[in-house]
Amino acid sequence: MRLDRLQAAGLTVVAGTLMALTMTGCFKDEPLNAECDIERVAITVDNPEKFFFQITDTARNINYADSIITIDVRGAADISAVALRFVTTAGASVSPASGTVQDFTGGPVTYTVTSQDGNWRRRYYISLRNVWVTVQDTIKYDFEHYELNAAGQYYVWHNELADGTLGNDWASGNGGYNMAKGKDAPENYPSVPDPNGYDGACVKLTTRDTGPLGMTMPIAAGNLFIGEFDVSVALKKTLQATLFGKPFTGRPVKYTGYYKYKAGPKFTVKPKKVVDRVDIGDIYSVLYLNHDPEGNPFVLHGDDVLSSPQIVAIARVKDLHETSEWTYFEVEYEYSKEIDEALLAERGYNLTVVFSSSRDGASFEGAVGSELMVDKVRVITAHEE
Amino acid sequence: MFNFLRQIFRPTTKHPSFRRGWGRLLLLLPFTAAAGGGFFSGFTTEGHIGYNIGGSAPLGMPATIRSLDRFSLTPNINFGASATKRFSERWGVKVGVRFENKGMDIDAGVKNYHMEITKGGESLAGVFTGNVVSRADLWMFTIPVQATFDVSKKVRLRGGLFGSYLTGRKFTGWAYDGYLRKDDPTGVKVELGSGPDERGDYDFSPNLRRWQWGAVIGADWYFHRRLGVYAELDWGFSGIFESGFHTVEQTLRPIYGSIGLTYRLH
Repeated sequence: MRLDRLQAAGLTVVAGTLMALTMTGCFKDEPLNAECDIERVAITVDNPEKFFFQITDTARNINYADSIITIDVRGAADISAVALRFVTTAGASVSPASGTVQDFTGGPVTYTVTSQDGNWRRRYYISLRNVWVTVQDTIKYDFEHYELNAAGQYYVWHNELADGTLGNDWASGNGGYNMAKGKDAPENYPSVPDPNGYDGACVKLTTRDTGPLGMTMPIAAGNLFIGEFDVSVALKKTLQATLFGKPFTGRPVKYTGYYKYKAGPKFTVKPKKVVDRVDIGDIYSVLYLNHDPEGNPFVLHGDDVLSSPQIVAIARVKDLHETSEWTYFEVEYEYSKEIDEALLAERGYNLTVVFSSSRDGASFEGAVGSELMVDKVRVITAHEE
Repeated sequence: MFNFLRQIFRPTTKHPSFRRGWGRLLLLLPFTAAAGGGFFSGFTTEGHIGYNIGGSAPLGMPATIRSLDRFSLTPNINFGASATKRFSERWGVKVGVRFENKGMDIDAGVKNYHMEITKGGESLAGVFTGNVVSRADLWMFTIPVQATFDVSKKVRLRGGLFGSYLTGRKFTGWAYDGYLRKDDPTGVKVELGSGPDERGDYDFSPNLRRWQWGAVIGADWYFHRRLGVYAELDWGFSGIFESGFHTVEQTLRPIYGSIGLTYRLH
């Protein structure tokens, strides 16, 4: 009798132990890190104020999507022997090693980052660029320089720099759309080039349906702006993904260009509820202080691009309307703060130029199919006037 | 013993369909319970009700699964009936049928875990570091066929094979509080939050198999003339997903322990 009970109990224990072992047991040692990102770059030089425009330029975070990095330094800065220091994914190694002196006069230096587990590599092309601040003339944006991104999935644009070379100041939300609709052809993305511009190619921005994976972001307005798009936070903190503006050394006065606009048939609000509203696009430009009163670097995001106290001037097209003809716009920058000329010369201001096919696209309100075409945009400075 | 099996399965041979054969077996049970004498001497029938506890897990935990942060009980009831035929003092054969759920609800910590977020034909694949919730509901009919060995009048050990046919299949969940690297660890990084708006949902229900099979071992202890308790381990040999499904890299085998009551009907 007693034995029976013991036997049964014993079996139950054996079965239970087997279960426990299978379910929770045998966690292996943590695998080594597989990532190989440069997360931050720092440059230590003897006289940083003579090397950089802003002292905060000595270190900067690197967008995970970027592998071509350009660091602007003063025109007179000696870039023939500079050591870059990196913060990488834990355990990753960089070659040439962090802190090694390199000559940047011959163009970008290639850094290869190898993951801790040795299985993954990323290459970074880092340039130091001597920038001579001149009183900036009219800036021309003609949208003639575009190409597919490295993976061939969507279009990216380049701006033309004063010396005729191409810059990477344009950004769009295409990278975010790629997360939801990775199989779409480049032409079906929200932001695409169109050969039928006012003059040569133009940019065509279309509000798109993000499909089943869009989840809480049911639509994506087509947008193009001067700044950066950080796709890593696009899902979690959408409005933080758009970083508006790049340093600007002129005093903008007028904002001009040509557009066409067509509103999509059904205006929807989250979560894809049709409401009786007509969509409208948005064209604006903002000049702002790129450091806060405490001296920390500052950048405008989707939630404060038109409302931040850092803003100095705004030019926004107010009478934007549906039109199938190329329509000229011309708006003046309205200043809410005085410009500090010395700070302007030290690249203390950022300028952004923004186009969107749905004005309230940032809060996912708009009509799928709304289309904004923009071409021959100009930012006219006081110097030009 | 084999003669007995032949008796039981005789109707099956006339029907090519294995499934219909099982149906015959089900019909047979109440009649066998009522019969007595001759072949049916040493024949008993039992009803069971119990609870399954376990999960569908890879055999040998991959290093990419770091921790099991939550394991919640799911409504894994099982109930059914069986018939046992004794051939000698101690040995016999037991055949049964039961309806049961092998569900699970877990939250696991992962690192560089290959996964795919899917919804309506669109997908986003890559390696995820963070937490993954997996919820399964697998309702099925199971037929165990086991050899029995009576240790004493009160204690019976048993072991054999089981086959299951799933009538309800659900396997869903989400990745949260972490980040996905698209395609591979060098790909675009996407952070996922914890709210329903910020996490990545998945649904692999359509990729679950209809059939499962495996081995079973168990023990019964009758503390009363008719009433007993049992403990059992069902070890699945087949993965829960179709063989062509590779989004979940490891083969997840259903491994469940079961405890419950047995009532001797006859």
